Amino acid sequence: MLRRAIAALSLACLFAAGLRLRGRGGTPPERGGWRELTRPPS
Amino acid sequence: MSVAIIGVGVVGARVARQLTSSGISVLLHDERRDAQASLARSIRASGLADLTKLDPATTPIVVIATSSPQAPLAKLLLELGHHVICTSDDVEDTRELLELNDTARLEKRILVVGATACPGLSGLLIAELTPRVDTIDEIHVAFHGTGGPGCARQHHRALAGDAIGWHDGEWIDRPGGSGRELLWFPEPLGGKDCYRAELPEPLLLHRSFPDVSRISARMSATRRDRLTARLPMMSPPHAEGGVGGVRVEIRGSLNGERCTEVAGVAERTGIIAGAVAASVAMKLLEVTDSISGVVTLGDGRLNDRALLDDVIRRGITVFEYIGSGA
Repeated sequence: MLRRAIAALSLACLFAAGLRLRGRGGTPPERGGWRELTRPPS
Repeated sequence: MSVAIIGVGVVGARVARQLTSSGISVLLHDERRDAQASLARSIRASGLADLTKLDPATTPIVVIATSSPQAPLAKLLLELGHHVICTSDDVEDTRELLELNDTARLEKRILVVGATACPGLSGLLIAELTPRVDTIDEIHVAFHGTGGPGCARQHHRALAGDAIGWHDGEWIDRPGGSGRELLWFPEPLGGKDCYRAELPEPLLLHRSFPDVSRISARMSATRRDRLTARLPMMSPPHAEGGVGGVRVEIRGSLNGERCTEVAGVAERTGIIAGAVAASVAMKLLEVTDSISGVVTLGDGRLNDRALLDDVIRRGITVFEYIGSGA
């Protein structure tokens, strides 16, 4: 029984580690940023 | 014409330096006589021992840069005939200052409430962003950093207090330290976890922008700040905080589509506060007798655009966020 529980837990950990390593693919795109305020002429 | 500054801590000293660099004569008053004398020597200003000796004819404007409460002193100075600029960021003190509107109108004097980084510059930034949208529904303000030790103590207390907000036509109360949101400030600050806190911003911004349906204010905090907020400060605050930041976000509609505009500043909080209060003082030196009562930055009564121009001229760089909401 204990061996089965350890085996199931190990399998779950391997699966989770695999998902984490795999991820969704790629670096999230960066959009936007700060720039000095543009102001219309008064 | 000269400007009197009461309190020569981080903010008061910055205001004094900004005004003297603009050629304005400054009178300094502080209960700490040595600090008063030291700053007076440094910037070649005069010290003032007795506030009742201030003459409104020669010193029409007084900047209060002491710790809160500032309302009792503001009332006294209004009744003596001065225009008063307050830098308080305490909610109860701000409420009492706003209640001095009738006193200020009766004396035909101006009381500027919240002339500092946040509140203060935040109102000017929102006024600057307002023309970019057709209508504003929401204003969300956040800040990071502190000025001097008094400011640090005030912010420590604020995290443990009741955070007020304006929400769909009514005031709401939430626990300080709640409402975590990761907000992005201009570099070098970057992302900071910000939380609701007992801040006067919603009171002042609701006054300046009464048609906006939601207004909130947050301050950055670490896990340690939140855990120790209800305890006395464990270590004495630094003489002056490092680089601070102010961030404003307005949400509204433009041509029928939802839009968001974000602006921010990253600079030492004391420098921002000094520049804002000094700009307001310079503006009050020009003002005619047609304006009186409480003024909040962003309400349009003191030409917010010109005020922001002056703040920028004093070395504060304002940034806008381009792209999706920060």
